[in-house]
Amino acid sequence: MNAVPMNIAAKPLAELISAEALAEIDRWIAKYPPEQKQSAVIQALHIVQDQHGWLNNERMDAVAEYLGMPKIAVYEVATFYTMFNLKPCGRHTIAVCTNISCMLRGSDVIVSHLEKKLGIRLGQTTADGKFTIKEVECLAACGGAPMFQIGKTYYENLTPQRVDEILDKLK
Amino acid sequence: MVNIEIDGKPLQVDDGKMLIEAADEAGIPIPRFCYHKKLSIAANCRMCLVEVEKAAKPLPACATPVTDGMRVYTRSAKALTAQKGVMEFLLINHPLDCPICDQGGECELQEVAMGYGSDVSRYQEKKRVVKDKNIGPLISTDMTRCIHCTRCVRFGQEIAGLMELGATGRGEHMEIGTYIEQSLVSEMSGNVIDLCPVGALTSKPFRFSARAWEMSQRDSIAPHDSIGSNLHLHVRDGQVMRVVPRENEAINEVWISDRDRYSYTGLNSEERLQAPRIKQKGAWQETDWQTALDFTVQNLRKAIAGHGAQQTGALSAPHCTLEEMYLLQKLLRGLGSQNLDHRLRQNDFSPQTPQYPWLGQGLAQLEKLDAVLLIGSNVRKEQPIGAHRLRKAALRGAEVMLINPVDYDFNFPAGEKIIIAPDAMVSALAGVARALCELDKAANKTHLDALAQVAVSSIHRTMASRLKSADNAGLLLGSSALAHPRLGALHTLAKLITRLSGARLGYLPQASNSVGGWLAGMLPDRDARGKSVSQPGLNARAMLEQGLKSYVLLNMEPEFDCANPAAALRNLNAAECVVTLTPYVTSQMESYADVLLPVTPFSETPGTFVNAEGRWQEFNAAVRPLGEARPTWKVLRVLGNLFELPGFDYVSAQEISHELRALAPDLATAGNGGDSATLPQLDNHGQTQGLMRIGHVPIHSIDNIVRRASALQQTADAEQACIRLNAAEAGRHGLMDGASARVSQDEAEARLTVRVDARVPDGAALIAAGVPGSETLGASFGAVNVERLA
Amino acid sequence: MNKVANYIKSLFLWELILGLKLTGRYFFAKKITVQYPEEKTPLSPRFRGLHALRRYPNGEERCIACKLCEAVCPAVAITIESEQRADGTRRTTRYDIDLFKCIYCGFCEESCPVDSIVETRIFEYHFEKRGDNVMTKDKLLEIGDRYEKQIAADRAQDAPFR
Repeated sequence: MNAVPMNIAAKPLAELISAEALAEIDRWIAKYPPEQKQSAVIQALHIVQDQHGWLNNERMDAVAEYLGMPKIAVYEVATFYTMFNLKPCGRHTIAVCTNISCMLRGSDVIVSHLEKKLGIRLGQTTADGKFTIKEVECLAACGGAPMFQIGKTYYENLTPQRVDEILDKLK
Repeated sequence: MVNIEIDGKPLQVDDGKMLIEAADEAGIPIPRFCYHKKLSIAANCRMCLVEVEKAAKPLPACATPVTDGMRVYTRSAKALTAQKGVMEFLLINHPLDCPICDQGGECELQEVAMGYGSDVSRYQEKKRVVKDKNIGPLISTDMTRCIHCTRCVRFGQEIAGLMELGATGRGEHMEIGTYIEQSLVSEMSGNVIDLCPVGALTSKPFRFSARAWEMSQRDSIAPHDSIGSNLHLHVRDGQVMRVVPRENEAINEVWISDRDRYSYTGLNSEERLQAPRIKQKGAWQETDWQTALDFTVQNLRKAIAGHGAQQTGALSAPHCTLEEMYLLQKLLRGLGSQNLDHRLRQNDFSPQTPQYPWLGQGLAQLEKLDAVLLIGSNVRKEQPIGAHRLRKAALRGAEVMLINPVDYDFNFPAGEKIIIAPDAMVSALAGVARALCELDKAANKTHLDALAQVAVSSIHRTMASRLKSADNAGLLLGSSALAHPRLGALHTLAKLITRLSGARLGYLPQASNSVGGWLAGMLPDRDARGKSVSQPGLNARAMLEQGLKSYVLLNMEPEFDCANPAAALRNLNAAECVVTLTPYVTSQMESYADVLLPVTPFSETPGTFVNAEGRWQEFNAAVRPLGEARPTWKVLRVLGNLFELPGFDYVSAQEISHELRALAPDLATAGNGGDSATLPQLDNHGQTQGLMRIGHVPIHSIDNIVRRASALQQTADAEQACIRLNAAEAGRHGLMDGASARVSQDEAEARLTVRVDARVPDGAALIAAGVPGSETLGASFGAVNVERLA
Repeated sequence: MNKVANYIKSLFLWELILGLKLTGRYFFAKKITVQYPEEKTPLSPRFRGLHALRRYPNGEERCIACKLCEAVCPAVAITIESEQRADGTRRTTRYDIDLFKCIYCGFCEESCPVDSIVETRIFEYHFEKRGDNVMTKDKLLEIGDRYEKQIAADRAQDAPFR
């Protein structure tokens, strides 16, 4: 028998995952056979991350419970993929490509400009919680190298001036 | 069957087998880390690469099925280069800290590196370091040593049924662990230590205490549940240093429960009695065996002369060996008393109760069942290996149904379940019986009449039809059923259900030799031949509730091992003479006993246990008795001589078990017994007054060794005495979680903390027996009153 | 002819003179007798005398209780018991060498992965009481502490050949 008191439950599901998010997860679950509910885990984590910006243990536990998976199995998935944020990040995540095409076209300059402008290093978040910059592998936009992605939008043919313009437009 | 050739050796192999299995059967060595015969195939360590003719690259032997005409070379230049390359990669991030690693000397990585690796390392760069995790009091981790074979992860998923360890991160950052800091709670978790091919997961209590080459390995049998798992005791300097499983496919396969693995930590507890003691004029004094035995004989003779042999009784714990119980009953019967019992936790002794409660089938057959109805059993914590067999059945598609007093958590998917207060379990079972009768009304008219008052619900009908339609159905009664105050009724109904449905009836007795106790004649009404005696004596309950003038107690602690500890202690304290043969001494013993004779736990005596399936398993002493302690069979033999009884001339324990073997009835022909044509009275007037106590025994409180096993007592499974109620029942009594309550049963009472626990049904209170704090209470399954304390 | 020569040689004690010549050579030669204990012969850095347990410069004992020396000892002279120390490290609680059993083969030193157990240059020692022949961990560490400089120098000198 488990001596951990049974009555201390985590926060209710509704506090961790919104009704709309749940509906969205259900839509994904419906695509798989009922006994294969856990196939929706990546989508579910994305949906929950979109709602909160990042994933903490509580939110992953909620996903695990909702999909009937062991918690550790959800942690395995979430830690495997770099697109899941397990730490709080800024409102805008700037993903700078540093692979070969971008590198040849000057991504180093873009990275150092970003670092200097925002006063943080790759993988860090600004103190005001506005920006996070991270280094990513090829985003398949070599034609417009160098490039970065903010949220879901690609920005190509970057120069330091263009970076300034883009960042200034963001709230 | 296909024909293949490995290293030029022609072999005939079953279709669908993997190369590594074929090689193992033929005794051809192939190095491996991730492959384990009891786990699924991961093929992630790549150590078992072999050359297959016509294949472009070396193939992993663990994941390559045999095909006809295959030619395999395990030692060709190509295979050896591949193996050497893999070995080099595996060692890149291995710390090579063998001198301080507990696995050193018995490490698969060491062995394979010696056999297949290179002799010098070319690696100059930095190595990876992984922070250690605390995963509980049983397993210590050194995750830097991990080679990511994922055997432990697969064990959790596939065998324990509780995925607690996982591989988080990716590539070089992959780590095996729990991700969040938490202890493993599986009752089988210790097996990951044996599975781990390196020193990443090692035993915490054993940590740094000995080397593999210093210890000698002795065979033994697990003494804590009725499975009788086969063990190896690793012994050094007359001390059991650790316990590991001994493979036996018919019983424990390659696993053992944590209880069997770590109970050795209690063997040499501070409380071990190391010399005989006698009480003279109220003061205890240590003495020699001669004096103590003379004192024993003199006092017992005096008591018998004064009050008659009927005022003497003997009780033995159900985990005593067959030899011990047989000699004890022979001694008492020689002295003229039939007051004998080993059924310490049983509450109901009516004639309808089973006569030989055993499994009724082999353990391996449990996994072949298609439908199982578990009645009053927390099999997962009581017989973890039995639960593993049932889990295999359930994963195969069997329906495991439950009628339990607590909504226990199982590691297999459970089907229909009825969670109900203990007193209502009889009517629940009657409901299933009636539902079965209704399936064929004409044939079962008489039963239907007898069960007329029974209410049948749809859940009863589902259970009935599942049992009836399954090819291989079983009814299993667990220890809550065996301790149930209406065991006779449960047994009669269970027998009726098996007759009607064709299911097989079985019991899951609690202790290592519960079944043996029935065979050894440690019963008031039956001798070792299984014959009824003309004048039956008193059973355990009657002896301890009515009170006798003298008692002989064997290897038991009445405050924890008896159904009614309050009455037991009262009457033992009132008795004139109490002779206690015990490995451990407690303050309670010092109060009621007159003689304390130090006897040995299972590790220091030869003996035989009969497990649930009726298998006789002999074992030998692994270490010398501690101090002046002596094996119980020797003590009883000498007592027999001192009483000048005939037939006490044994020179070995084997002689005793062979004598008994010739006498004892065969379980397969004896059946469960307790046949009764008339069905039990079913009172439908609801519940007893107050709450009904569920006095189950927690996993780590089952016997005197486990209760002293320090490592096990630190786990989450170790329970403190408390009263568990569901939220509604707690509300009704004005109690809150964490409040303190006065619990009373007649005169007996205890102050306990309240815990709100949703698993407990209405009308019941879960107050564990066998744990400190509840020993002042009465019957383990009986009415209790709960009052709030300010 | 031969007979005559032998006769003359023996008459003039020729062989005695030959013998005295050797005596005389050594009588005037430089003496090589060592006046022990005032004088001592030089010892090799590989000399295998009394044992010692060493420490690291920070004072931490080197021994990690791996028990390889115990396992390799052909005379079964070493007895080790180990435990987990409060700081989590693997340490000995007992390290005994029975000098009556020891055959000074140096295997213990060779097997030690941390250069903890070593054989020093000490060869002059005696026991006065029964039981003194067993060197305990404390005694061994004390020897190590006292002669650390010499021990370290010897190891350094031998290092190129290991």
